[in-house]
Amino acid sequence: MREPLRITILRHAVLLAFVAISIYPVLNVVSISLRPGDRLRSTDLAIIPADWTLASYAALFTEQPFLRWLGNSLAVSAAVTVTGVALASTAGYAFSRFRFIGRRATMLAILTTQMFPATMLLLPLYVLIARLGLVDTWLGLMIFYTATALPFCVWQMKGFYDTIPASLEEAARIDGCTRGQAFWYVVLPLATPGLVITALFSFMTAWSEYIVAAQVMQREEMFTLPLGIKGFQASLSSQWGLYAAASILVSLPVVAVFLSLSRFLVNGLTVGSVKE
Amino acid sequence: MATAVLGLAGCGSRDTRTTVTIWHQSRPTERDFLVAEIERFEADHPGVRVRPLYKETEELRAGFQAAVLAGAGPELVYGPSDVLGTFHTMGIIQDLAPWISAEERDAFVEGAITSLPATDGSGRRAVVQIGDRFGNHLALVYNRRFVTTPPLTTDDLVRIARDNTVDGDGDGRPDRYGLVWNYTEPFFGIPFLTGFGGWVFQEPESEPPRPDLDTPAMAAALGFIRDLRERHQVTPANCDYELADSLFKTGRAAMIINGDWSWSDYLANPSIDAAVAVLPTVDATGLPMRPMVAPKGYSLNANASGDQADAAMAFVRYMTSDEVQRRLLQRLRMLPARRAAWDDPLVASDPTLAASRKQIENGRLMPVAAELRAVWDGMKPAYQAVLGGTLEPAAAAARMQRDTEGFIASMHQRVEPSPLVPVLGAGIGLALFVLLVRQWRSFVALATDLRRNPTPYAFAFPAVLVIFAVIVFPFVWNLVLSLSDMSLGRFRDWRVVGLQNYAEVLADRRLWGLSGVFLKTVLWTVINVALHVTLGVILAVALHGPVRCKAIYRLLLIIPWAVPAYITALTWRGMFDYEYGAVNLILGKWLGLPAVNWLGEPLRAFEACIITNVWLGFPFMMVIALGGLQGIPEELYEAARIDRASRWQQFWHITLPLLKPVLLPAATLGAIWTFNNLNVIWLVSNGGEPQDATHILVSYVYKSVFNLYRYGYGAALSTVMFLILLAFSMVFLQRTRATESVYR
Repeated sequence: MREPLRITILRHAVLLAFVAISIYPVLNVVSISLRPGDRLRSTDLAIIPADWTLASYAALFTEQPFLRWLGNSLAVSAAVTVTGVALASTAGYAFSRFRFIGRRATMLAILTTQMFPATMLLLPLYVLIARLGLVDTWLGLMIFYTATALPFCVWQMKGFYDTIPASLEEAARIDGCTRGQAFWYVVLPLATPGLVITALFSFMTAWSEYIVAAQVMQREEMFTLPLGIKGFQASLSSQWGLYAAASILVSLPVVAVFLSLSRFLVNGLTVGSVKE
Repeated sequence: MATAVLGLAGCGSRDTRTTVTIWHQSRPTERDFLVAEIERFEADHPGVRVRPLYKETEELRAGFQAAVLAGAGPELVYGPSDVLGTFHTMGIIQDLAPWISAEERDAFVEGAITSLPATDGSGRRAVVQIGDRFGNHLALVYNRRFVTTPPLTTDDLVRIARDNTVDGDGDGRPDRYGLVWNYTEPFFGIPFLTGFGGWVFQEPESEPPRPDLDTPAMAAALGFIRDLRERHQVTPANCDYELADSLFKTGRAAMIINGDWSWSDYLANPSIDAAVAVLPTVDATGLPMRPMVAPKGYSLNANASGDQADAAMAFVRYMTSDEVQRRLLQRLRMLPARRAAWDDPLVASDPTLAASRKQIENGRLMPVAAELRAVWDGMKPAYQAVLGGTLEPAAAAARMQRDTEGFIASMHQRVEPSPLVPVLGAGIGLALFVLLVRQWRSFVALATDLRRNPTPYAFAFPAVLVIFAVIVFPFVWNLVLSLSDMSLGRFRDWRVVGLQNYAEVLADRRLWGLSGVFLKTVLWTVINVALHVTLGVILAVALHGPVRCKAIYRLLLIIPWAVPAYITALTWRGMFDYEYGAVNLILGKWLGLPAVNWLGEPLRAFEACIITNVWLGFPFMMVIALGGLQGIPEELYEAARIDRASRWQQFWHITLPLLKPVLLPAATLGAIWTFNNLNVIWLVSNGGEPQDATHILVSYVYKSVFNLYRYGYGAALSTVMFLILLAFSMVFLQRTRATESVYR
């Protein structure tokens, strides 16, 4: 279907304007990463400074254990993504399709876990981590990240299941599917965009978190990327070049994950599936 | 997978050596030195392993407090002396007197070993830190390409600065400033105060120290600083640490006032020719400008004992031995703590070290009392108001004194347990009991339903378990804490005292007034979420259709989400700079609008925070909306077109209602997250600047807990915030029927 020209122009105008707004501050980060001498600020608008250098990027790989941090972060984030998607897709389904006792109360209770200011939880969280012997363990980090990501993911999955007509499942049940089979073969594929968002969100939660990580991980060889990067910051003498270069490199895997997942985000599957 | 995870959790090294952990806040070159010395030490002491871990200043402080409270933590902490008063009052570091004799102490330069009155009231003094070097002092760094001889007096300083404030291209904006320094921190204003004959505490220092800020000296110092900018116009209109640093490094400033930590960077920078000089003498008083000086050194964790404590102290002894002290001097060019190394010929022959030593001898020891924190917090808003041109120096001095006294009072606030505590306990117990009885029927029904119809419970249980396993303990702890008197003076021996914290929270006019923090938080939340959702939906709709290069647009639009916020927020702070920031340059060049003092005026700073947060948050909503659009059947639009519905009608009657179930959870949680979003406010407005006027509730809590150590009060305020959010969510979910499905 072709659209009127003015609509097409409008679409591109809006998109172009926001692309410019989106990338300009990030170009500034790139600019910082190219400056020698750890200068956070510049007095002109040039993105590529006259004295640019790739020294910061080189130093990350040669002088800093950047690859080690990357590996740690990838492992933790992948584990959290898998657990997050598995737990949220099932729990969301229960909250969307079933009516059971304590359903609304539990949903609200899940939300309440997000309401306490995280900074106040720091002290008790450390006490908990220390008492459970979770200091310097991957398990500790994973549990905390999964628990942080889940409330949103459960609600999000529930919202997506809500948009899938129940008649599809009923049809599958009539054709002889069990409830589990209907969930696996009919509902889950239709909820793909929701699963993608859940996966992205879980990944990002684990990928960018550092407050809890700083409590759990006390050994440098177990640092995740955000912890490693925060180490470049010191009061009044930060290594801005390394800090900015690492931040740029950190975002590349996110972009890659988004790229690989986004085709599932845009292929509508319900098209033509039900006529009501 | 579970076994693999457990395997990972269980793996640890089988090292039989005694392990000593050090949390330190050393700068990068100092870290290399530390690591090299640890290797030497371990070679000499085969039974000991030393593990250093770098922690940023605030993280070290907060993390160490939490760790000691949990009965753990590193054996040693290393850093400047300014936190010692706090650590000592909290009882989280040990008296080092048993490890160091009087003769040994005599080998140190005066001030290198810090002792404080013992908390047991015995009148003894406890040794709380053994220093290994001096530092943290400010001096004047000048670029020899512009300045041949450094100024000896303030008149010289003004003259040289005026000569060096140059507007080469005549655009009204100087290309080079005479003098720059970090305006935002009062620490950098101390040399001016001392030069005019003032000091932060009353002298002789009492116990606890009393602030002495409302003095003619303070007013004169503030007046002098203001004159530098307004009368002589030799400094930029706004200048924080990073801007001052960048200006000097790029040759756009002739002189900078900065600390010893920065000098090696300047001296090594090939594009300038830097040299260090002692700060000048103030002509009006004849007194030298004296910066604060602090030793850096080691303190021992209160939990450390036995072999570990001995091993830790053996390491401290090693680091303060003459041999290591000389290496420290030679490698790091920093002034060591022992007399023998202090008199090394290198100190006299190296011009930077010579200037540094002279400046230290000319400096004043930084007080270690916890009250200094209140002084900084009390000075900051008024100091910034003077620089912002909204307050006269004399009035500012009076306000500093008043604010600081207020902060100190709340730091030392002693709350006596209310006689009603047992009543309160009984009340809570009764309420729980009544709740249990009233809900008894539901529990029975739950048990029956669980047996008859287990599927939904089995589906929901794992997620619910994980979520609550983590949150229940911290949550209950906070509730208990909110009823307690946990504070600086009662950090480890806090008691439940009753509802006083809540009474104080509810009576606080700064929170609930018309221009109070609460209303600002509501405004902050509503504006942010509304813009996040609106922009997200607009962009998703724009992307959802026949558009070329869709994939590229989509990718570029999520970039604000992909790049870590802790760097982009700082970038935005740079973009809001008055003189050099992109926002003002674009406003001025393209739109011809006058420059806006984004970070200098309270309301503008708040707007700057909002703009940054909107930028950070819209991609997430866009992704959610994109996902939601996929679920809307195309047939509905076809039917609408047949009915000749306009695009607008289609959007309003089909798109929005069907996006609702997907957007609602995101919007609800988005509101909760935004309400509690500390990072953006903290990074963009640098912790509530200017004048503490950009705070939202969460940054206010953060400040009262981490700057004034009011844990009980902070917990009570957090609980109130929790209740506000709970009420909001319940009403919002009820009205939007978010827990119900659209098709039902």
